[in-house]
Amino acid sequence: MDLPIKMLTTAVAVPVFGAFLIPLAGRVSTSARNAFAVLLGLFTFVAAASLFSPVLSGQTADYMISFPRGFDFILRADMLSVFMASVSAFVSAIILIYSVDYISHYENQTEYYTMVVLFLGSMMGLVFSANLLWMYIFWEMTGFCSWRLVGFFRSDKDVAKANKTILVTVFGALCMLVGIIMVYFDHGTLDLRALHGAGISYAAAAFILAGILSKSATLPFSTWLPDAGVAPSTVTSLLHAAVLVKIGVYAYARIFGVTFAAPDAFSNLVLYLAGASALVSAGAALIDTDIKRIIAYSTVSQIAFIFLGLASGNKTAFAGALLYILMHSVAKGGLFLCAGIIEQNTHTKDINKMGGLFSSMPWTGAAFALCSLSVMGIPPFGGFFSKFLVFSGAAQNGNLTVLLMFLVGAVMTLLYLVRLFYKIFLGEPAGHNSPKEGSFTMVASVMALAVIGLALGALIYYPSAYANLLTANLGVNLQ
Amino acid sequence: MDKALLAFLIIPLFAAVLIPFAARYRPRMADILANVTLLAGLANLAWLALSPSMIASEFANLPGDGLSLLLVGAIYLVGLCVTFFSAWFLDENLPNRPAYYSLLLVSVAAMTGVVTSTDFFTLYVFVEVLAVTSFALITTDESFAGVEGALKYFFLTFPASALIIVGLAILMLTLGSLSYENLRIFMSSDIPAGPVTFGAALIMLGFIIKSGVVPFHAWTPDAYQGAYAPVSAHLAGIVTKISGVYALIKMATLLRFFDGRAQALSEMLMFLGLLSIAVGAIAALRQKDFKRMLAFSSISQVGYIVLAAGLGTPLALIGAVFHLFNHATFKTVLFLNSASVERSAGTTDMDKLGGLEHSMPWTSWTSVVALLSTAGVPPLSGFWSKLLIILALWESGLRTYAVLALLFSIVTLAYFMVMQRKVFFGKKTAAAESSPEVSAPLLAPAIVMCGLIVALGLLFPYFYTYLKVVAERIII
Repeated sequence: MDLPIKMLTTAVAVPVFGAFLIPLAGRVSTSARNAFAVLLGLFTFVAAASLFSPVLSGQTADYMISFPRGFDFILRADMLSVFMASVSAFVSAIILIYSVDYISHYENQTEYYTMVVLFLGSMMGLVFSANLLWMYIFWEMTGFCSWRLVGFFRSDKDVAKANKTILVTVFGALCMLVGIIMVYFDHGTLDLRALHGAGISYAAAAFILAGILSKSATLPFSTWLPDAGVAPSTVTSLLHAAVLVKIGVYAYARIFGVTFAAPDAFSNLVLYLAGASALVSAGAALIDTDIKRIIAYSTVSQIAFIFLGLASGNKTAFAGALLYILMHSVAKGGLFLCAGIIEQNTHTKDINKMGGLFSSMPWTGAAFALCSLSVMGIPPFGGFFSKFLVFSGAAQNGNLTVLLMFLVGAVMTLLYLVRLFYKIFLGEPAGHNSPKEGSFTMVASVMALAVIGLALGALIYYPSAYANLLTANLGVNLQ
Repeated sequence: MDKALLAFLIIPLFAAVLIPFAARYRPRMADILANVTLLAGLANLAWLALSPSMIASEFANLPGDGLSLLLVGAIYLVGLCVTFFSAWFLDENLPNRPAYYSLLLVSVAAMTGVVTSTDFFTLYVFVEVLAVTSFALITTDESFAGVEGALKYFFLTFPASALIIVGLAILMLTLGSLSYENLRIFMSSDIPAGPVTFGAALIMLGFIIKSGVVPFHAWTPDAYQGAYAPVSAHLAGIVTKISGVYALIKMATLLRFFDGRAQALSEMLMFLGLLSIAVGAIAALRQKDFKRMLAFSSISQVGYIVLAAGLGTPLALIGAVFHLFNHATFKTVLFLNSASVERSAGTTDMDKLGGLEHSMPWTSWTSVVALLSTAGVPPLSGFWSKLLIILALWESGLRTYAVLALLFSIVTLAYFMVMQRKVFFGKKTAAAESSPEVSAPLLAPAIVMCGLIVALGLLFPYFYTYLKVVAERIII
């Protein structure tokens, strides 16, 4: 086995199997367990990122274990999977570092670390799988991890919300399995490499889409995501920025972007669904008063922009959507981690009870502002370029209704984030006694994400060159 | 009879006779004898099926049709788990303790007889032996519920036996023989369909009742709930599967040779299978008692096996046998865990339980593994068997059945989520406060079974190769 294949297999195997060693490390000591979990996260990131150099030189790495009936377990590193894996693993590693302080005074910590690392491992497996059935298998594993993580606190309400999360996403996954079975009988294989450029029937595409929408929390399956906000902020950050929600977007890019040639009417349907999703959730974000629910609605709305880019059917928009995934992961991860600091130090999630926090939490406030600006798409932040590319691609597509829906959505993004920032950090203090700043590692984590968001804007040339190359090499049916 | 596996029938029978004498002065001898018998048998079976040369040759040299070997393995496995669990679970001073172990061993022997017989009459005889021992095992719990369950079992399954014997008589009169080999030849020849179909329908109806398929499921929840917990694990895990579902699979393979002339029968079987999946799952959602919920879940899972048996294509049979084996693993775990919960917290009423995960972490997590396998969550073994069944349905053009069977997995998941929330997660209740984890021997069977669930899921290619050999041999 040469080096890229070794790195590919370790990037999946180390977090998946390492996760089950975390309880053992927990027997040794708490700090050994925490260090082990963080190391697993960092190692996964390094392994995934090390694959950049072979894929940039035009190689791919494949690893295969044969299974009967065409269910072969195939891992494949190409430009898209390496990109997605590195982004997820990076944000997850930051979240793990942040967790060490954040989670230290709750119960069930061992389970928490096990599940986060297993989650990351399943995500790696999903991203690198080149067989639809194995994508589905890892898909369900992420569902299981999200179930345990959303139900981290054990009150009846939390457990009920966790159950809602898994039931909605598993329902979607089962629909997706129906779609996969259709593909299996239509084409006789589930190997994505063999299916490259093949056609897909409307029914199969629709079933797979249902699975994708349920995972990425787009209308009509969006309600579980705001509810999942009962979990600790690290978990919601993980779900929103690094793994769960991105899975749906990644699957769309993988299945309809670089594998099957999706029918036009189907792409149009996705555009309208995404547009409606962007508007409805932005509206909800404008009126809600729970800090985590607002950011969650914002995710639903931003994910719709990624779908806009992926489904518009031209290269500009597709490359923009890939950049959007990167920018949104970094910025939204930062926002949730900031929310975690705020929530932990003020003991409330109601933004009406906050206000004027900037004086007592300047670092968190600054990071929050930077991340918000990136999500809004203000130049020179990374978020601006991705949003711009998505819009210019969508304009080339020429569907005016959809474009207008998203323009309104973008304006609303601006409004609700300004409102959120104002309510939390500016204005009069409302019934709190100037809570203190978060711990060093926590603030450092959020500042790192905020600064990276800014740096990505300044150095936009590199990611965008990568995204263009990816689109040109792998894209199917793009103009 | 399949001579190669005869020893696995006779030795437990012999041990069953020996136990009352051996345990007269030393009650512990009963536990030891029963466990040693089954453990030795299991080790032997494992060597037969899993020796390195066997795996290397892709199971080409399996003795017999391979199916009986696999099922005897499942019987011994569940039997061993149940006897091992009972050894630590039952009250030391239970007066009929030796009798209990003897009955368990007789039931293991009878099940071995069922799966190794080569004609329907022998099968019927062993099924009856099994029914009598099950009846007696349920009444080992002398409480009102136990007796009620036993009586319900008696009144509902013995008419089934009558139906089966009448059906067998009709087959005997028209065909002159009941051995599988002859039936297979007759059914592929040009004999008039009428009386044979009628006889087959009666037999099938009998076995449908015995496997507790909707609408003949009334006896199962009461019997499982009323019996001692290890007994319900034994009944739900393996006994009803062997006495009912196995025979249905056998019938289905034979009816296939009837090419199309018994189409209505297999369609009816499939319909009842789907109905069981639906009714069992929906009823399980509404249960308040842990064991009763598991009983309804069992009805629902049997539905998948029956659905696949009714379809009868090679792939469907692979799925059916695989699911039958998986059902034995995960349902045994769940029932044994319910017994642990009952022992520790004193009740199986889910409204009174809650928050057991901290005091009983092993029980909690083994339940999670088992329930995920039941709901068909990958990469556990239950996923593969369900997937094979659904692929088989789709392949035969029965897309509605396939999609419905798949989507009912979500109901399965839903009722287990409810169970998990009420019993293990959630707020601690008064009953849960004083409930320590049960001792390691009581956990061992559940942990072994969970290991098997995970291993079968990950080693699916090997198991599939085995089952493919089985399917080729029982169909061609």
